[in-house]
Order: sequence, then C-alpha cells, then structure tokens
Amino acid sequence: MTLQLERAPGRAGGARRPRRAPLHGRLRPGYVAPAVLLVAALLYAPFLWTVYLSFTSYDGLAPPAFAGLRNFGELLEDPALLTSIRNTLIWVAGTMVLPVGLGLLVAVLSYDLPRGAWYRLPFMLPYALSGAGLAMVWSPILSHDGIANRLLGVDTAFLQEEPHNTLAMLLVWTWQQLGVNTLLFVVGLQSIPKEPIEAARLDGASGWSLFRHVIWPLMAPLTAVVVGLALVASLKTFDIVWVMTQGGPGRNSETLAVTMYRETFVASQYGYGSAVAVLLTVVAGLASYLYLRGQVRTA
Amino acid sequence: MIRRAVLLVLGLVWLGPTYLLVVNAFRPANSYDASRAWAPSGDIAIFQNFALAIERADLGGSLASTLLYSVVSPALAVLIGALAGYTIVVLRLRGGFWWFMLIFGGTIFPTQMLLVPLFVTYSDAGLYDSRPGMILVYTAVSVPLAAFVLRNFFTGVAFSIFEAARMDGASTLRIFVRIYLPLAGSALAAVFILEFTFIWNDLLFGLALTQTSGVRPVMTQLAGLMTDVYAGTPVPVGLAAGLVVSLPTVALFLATQRLFARGLSLGSV
Repeated sequence: MTLQLERAPGRAGGARRPRRAPLHGRLRPGYVAPAVLLVAALLYAPFLWTVYLSFTSYDGLAPPAFAGLRNFGELLEDPALLTSIRNTLIWVAGTMVLPVGLGLLVAVLSYDLPRGAWYRLPFMLPYALSGAGLAMVWSPILSHDGIANRLLGVDTAFLQEEPHNTLAMLLVWTWQQLGVNTLLFVVGLQSIPKEPIEAARLDGASGWSLFRHVIWPLMAPLTAVVVGLALVASLKTFDIVWVMTQGGPGRNSETLAVTMYRETFVASQYGYGSAVAVLLTVVAGLASYLYLRGQVRTA
Repeated sequence: MIRRAVLLVLGLVWLGPTYLLVVNAFRPANSYDASRAWAPSGDIAIFQNFALAIERADLGGSLASTLLYSVVSPALAVLIGALAGYTIVVLRLRGGFWWFMLIFGGTIFPTQMLLVPLFVTYSDAGLYDSRPGMILVYTAVSVPLAAFVLRNFFTGVAFSIFEAARMDGASTLRIFVRIYLPLAGSALAAVFILEFTFIWNDLLFGLALTQTSGVRPVMTQLAGLMTDVYAGTPVPVGLAAGLVVSLPTVALFLATQRLFARGLSLGSV
C-alpha cells in the first residue's frame, strides 16, 4: 500500500484546528485493507471474471475457450430465454402495479385514519416470511386439488400453465411485499408538510383532486425511491420462482435470474450462464439509468 | 367510511393465507385435508410438526450453521466496515472518498454476477460446501452497507473527541475500540440486524456454494423440502417449518425496534 497521511487541514467544523492534522500512526492505511481486500476479492474480481467468462465456452472442467460473441448470439435465438425475458417483464410491470401501486393505495387510505396501524397490520404479517416459508404457505393453496380451486369452485392449474403461473406467483409476491411498500409510503405521507394540504382543503380540494394535485407531488421523492428499489429487485426475481416452480414446468415460468442459475448449475454451461448474468446486469443497469434520468428530468 | 370498508375487505383477504398458515401449522401432520383446511383442529401439534421437519429435511445442523453465519458474518462486517469508515472519516485517509466509493460500489453487483467465479474458486480452494467459505462470502457482501452507514455516522461525531483522546496519548486503534465503536452502538446494531435478516433469509448463495445439509443455510434446506421431496412432506410439517424458521428475524426486529429506529437516524449521537 502506498497511501500517505493527509496533511491538508480537515473540513468539518475545524476553524480552530492546527494547520496540520496530528499524526495518527503508521498503520492507518492498513485499517481500510480488510474492507478493500474482501470487496475486491469476493465482489469485484468475480464480477470481472464473469464478464470475461460470458465471452467463452466453459463447462467448468476444461479451461474456458474464447468464443467471442457466440453466447450472446445463442441467447437471442434461445426460445427459453425469450420466455424468460417475457416473464421478467411481467414481473417488473406487475410489481409496479400490484405491490407498489396497491401499497400506495393502502397507504393513502390509512395514513391519517385513527388507529391506521391496525388497518395495516394484516399487510405487515406476511412480510415476516422468507421465500421458502412463502412457498410453504402457498403451495397447498395453489396446488391442483388445493384450497384456491375449492374456494373458487374451479379447476385451474395455477402453477403449471404459462403465463398464469407467473401471474399466480406475482399475486403471492404481492401478498408478501405489499406491507413493506405500504409502510414506506406511510412514512412518506406522514412526513410531508401539513400546511399545503390544509390550504388546499380550505380552497375546496378534497378526495382525488387533493391527492392528485397536492399530496402526490409532495411525496414524489419518496415514490421515486420506492419505485426504483422495486424496479431493480423485480428484474432480479429469483427466490420465489425457484421455491415455487423452479422455473417450470418445462422452463415456462423462468425469469432471467432463474435461467442464469439453471444454465450454470444445472446444465453446467458456465460461459452461457455468465452471458445471461451479464445480460441481466446490463438490463438492470440500463433500467436504473433510464429511470434515474427520467426522475432528474421531471424533478 | 368507504376508506375503512376497502381497507377492511382487503385486510381480510390478506389475513386469509396467514390464517391458513397458523391453523394448519398447528394441525397434526397426517390429518391435513384441503377440503377442511379452514377449520381449526384444536390440536397444538406445531412442535411435533417442526420436529418432523427437522428430521425430514435434516434441519438441525443447517439451523446451527445458519445461526453461525448470520451472527458471525454481520459482526465481522460491521467491525471491518466501521474500521474503514473510521479511517476514512476520522483519520482522514488520503483519497478516502475514492476508497469509500470502491468499498460501497460492491453493492451494485447482482449476485448472479458473482456465482460462477465463486463456485469455481471455492471448489479449487476447498471452500465449497464449507462453513468458513460461507462466512467469508456473507461477510464480503455485508461490508459495503456497514461501511456506508458507519462512515455516515462518524461524519456526525465531533472531531474534538478524537483530538482530546490524541492529546491524552491514546493510539488510533485504541480510540477506535474504546471511543468510536461504543459511540456507534445503535448504528452498529441496526446494520447488524439488517444483515442478520439478509443472511438468515438467503437462498441463492446457499444453493450455489453448498451441498450437505449441515453446511446449507436453512432457507436453502427448506426450499429442498419443498422442491426435492415435496411429494412426501405433509402440509402441516412444511408450514410449521416455514413459521418457526421465520420467527428469529421477527423476534430480533421486534426486540430492537427502538434501537433500530435510532440507529438509522444516521449521524446523530
């Protein structure tokens, strides 16, 4: 390490500080070393390595053989991948409408009610369950002779046929995620200033117009964060699909993250799997970039 | 009034599956019948069910390992992240901002981008399917958030504290351990809880980097109960397992709610 002591005067509140910061000991550059080494070795290096592997043909046994863009060419012609992209888009769009949109609705309906927290409690409970627990709860409900079919008096193969197995899982996801989105929105709604709302009320605004023209603009920064987080998370949907259908049957409910896992660890196509991972990263990066740019424009 | 009605109806719909979960997790393992799933059985068989799940999915070793991962890794990550934050903010490391960006930048990589190289290297290095290997990877993914929160926290601590301690002749490491770490208690705890929850609920690293039931994290092991041998797992056993395994994170969160809120109001002492 070739780091040196910083001798410039410090920033925060240091008007009376001596011009030279005192010597803090020789070891101090070493203090960031554990963090830097861990992050470099286990996050940066694997990341770059995956980028390299995506341009190779590699089965984990023979050394990777450079293959140029072949993996990406195959990606575009792979019907399983197209299904996977379609499902991922359903997940992204569905997440915006259901967990986020419905979460906003519940938040707006309940945030200023007396005992509003009690109305929100049913939505918070499922958040405690993890992916595996979620599958435990919903498999007996959605199975062929399961509770949902009996309740609705129908005979639907909720988890078998596409695309409604993806939609069914999206509803399960909504059941779990609604609460946390609601909570974030409620925090936001409760922290917006009261005066503009009171003023608008005095001017006769109420209901939808009050929400649309006063509350919504005031909570925009928070909405941006919630939507941004949900966008990136939904692009990477993995756990719930893996535990409920493993992407099946016949790969028809796979998302990009599931395809990546299957190609790599089930089919041992490390190069191809890496290419799917790169595609996922590029899509997630691009979506975040476009989203952030849109946010900056409207702000 | 319409607002309350909408909330109540929606709330009831949401409670349905929760109700089914609780009622059927308490039902004796072999008495589940989809047509009578709504009726409580009056039994309290959840502990037997959970014991059955432990036996069937070999959850015992997995639970112990998961506890080890989700305590040791966040503890290490929080210490390492705090030390980095302290060095950057308080000791004014030259180029500190860039070092910080390097560390924090680790959060942007999707897990999928890490799995293949980790799997290959772990296999070569004998870390595949081992507890040290899991602790290592969980620590690494936890460091960026820890460094982020603690750096922000230390920015809000008056520099005069450091100067006074230096006057008294304390070494930088001693100042870190004796003054800055205790000051950051609630921030450390908040990060610890977030990362405990993340690791406790992790599925993907467990799937890719482990194999045997004693090393596999509990969520991965439970998912196996669903996917590999689901045909043979009675519904109440699966539900009991899902419920009991979810409890630690809930308990930890409830127990520390106030601490948590305080810890995340960053920068204030």
